[in-house]
Amino acid sequence: MHFVIISGAARTQSKSNTAKIIAAFCEGLQNGGNTSKIWYLSDRKQWKSAKIAFEENENILFALPLYVENVPGIMLEFLACLSAKERPGSRISFLLQGGFPEVSQGRCCEEFLKTLPAQLGCGYGGTFIKGDMFGLSLMGEKMEAKLLQPFIEIGRQFGENGAFRRETIEAFSIPEYLSEEQIRISNGPLRYVQRFAMRYFARRLGCKTKLDAKPFCEKELQETQEETI
Amino acid sequence: MRLLIINTLPKVHPAAEKAICCLTEKASECMTFYTEDMRITPCIGCNACWLKTPGICAVKDDYEQILKAYLQYDVTLFISDTALGFINYKMKHVIDRILPMATMYTRIENGQTRHVPRYNKEFRFGLLYAGKGNQDYLAHWMSRFCLNFHGISLGAFPIEAWEEVCACIS
Ligand SMILES: Cc1cc2nc3c(=O)[nH]c(=O)nc-3n(C[C@H](O)[C@H](O)[C@H](O)COP(=O)(O)O)c2cc1C
Repeated sequence: MHFVIISGAARTQSKSNTAKIIAAFCEGLQNGGNTSKIWYLSDRKQWKSAKIAFEENENILFALPLYVENVPGIMLEFLACLSAKERPGSRISFLLQGGFPEVSQGRCCEEFLKTLPAQLGCGYGGTFIKGDMFGLSLMGEKMEAKLLQPFIEIGRQFGENGAFRRETIEAFSIPEYLSEEQIRISNGPLRYVQRFAMRYFARRLGCKTKLDAKPFCEKELQETQEETI
Repeated sequence: MRLLIINTLPKVHPAAEKAICCLTEKASECMTFYTEDMRITPCIGCNACWLKTPGICAVKDDYEQILKAYLQYDVTLFISDTALGFINYKMKHVIDRILPMATMYTRIENGQTRHVPRYNKEFRFGLLYAGKGNQDYLAHWMSRFCLNFHGISLGAFPIEAWEEVCACIS
């Protein structure tokens, strides 16, 4: 089968977690004898050909990061320029990934995604949700490869019939919620480790203030108001 | 009650004009941003507002005044067109850019991970929409969005039903 994959990420391809996930996913597709072509909506020059690819192909996968509980604005903008297909036989599936660890965080977006294929004259091939992806690009090559590994198998299984199977979702789209034990650890000692790690990454990126800095606190706002008066 | 309105509909939109006019009268103070007159580009997902210049967006356009206004007003009302049953992309661009209001730090609240808020403020957000929106879904999404920004959702209403918002804010 041939798949058209459209990345709805706003971040440039070289830095995007979605792009890395797509690469691993396509490796799996290819292992199963499938072909794919990828378009990145972060590059507006690709929109025209992405739109044509959407129109001319039957197997479409949108891969996207969760943005404020839903589809990123640029993906919504792209969707708005598509017309519903008149010829039956096309199918749209979604690979949704987010920063928070729980799969349940993606359910509100999934509810919207489910409505899209019918509105675009297509069938629905399911939504695969994965959380905990924020740090993918921050953690170094070894950890990155480990986090991406499952997407190779997910891609292979998806390629078998061009839709997300229930078994794939049950095996890989986890956890729906964190366990009580995980919550206890996360809100306890892990919180300090996480903060330490975040500060370390921030310093490496050139951050010079506290991560919880309040640049627009009352005092600063008063000053800017006085300036504009 | 100090009211902030962010309107992504065209300035000439009878229903929106009426709603804004009436809501302005009801509020003790009201400020309206017409994004049609502003340059607001989409979030580029660079995470600078979390990790590099905490609280400050790396994209230098007209959005910073909106970020400051979120903090200055008691209630923010989004006025948006709809597409595919949801808010349209113009409003989603505005809302995606709200990220600097949260910090990178997280904690688990009521069983789900949330960002630790950057400011000590309980936001109140409401949505008025034009066109064929799915009201139940929009209300559900608003409540989810508010959860992540430690806010309270006033709900989502068709623009003609702006009086419903009055009941929530008075
Ligand atoms: C504007 C914005 C909003 C986000 N909203 C959410 C969210 O609601 N839930 C979540 O789990 N992650 C959220 N994230 C985190 C991203 O989904 C996550 O970091 C993802 O891996 C980014 O993929 P990308 O590098 O391809 O953009 C948000 C990130 C940004 C920049």
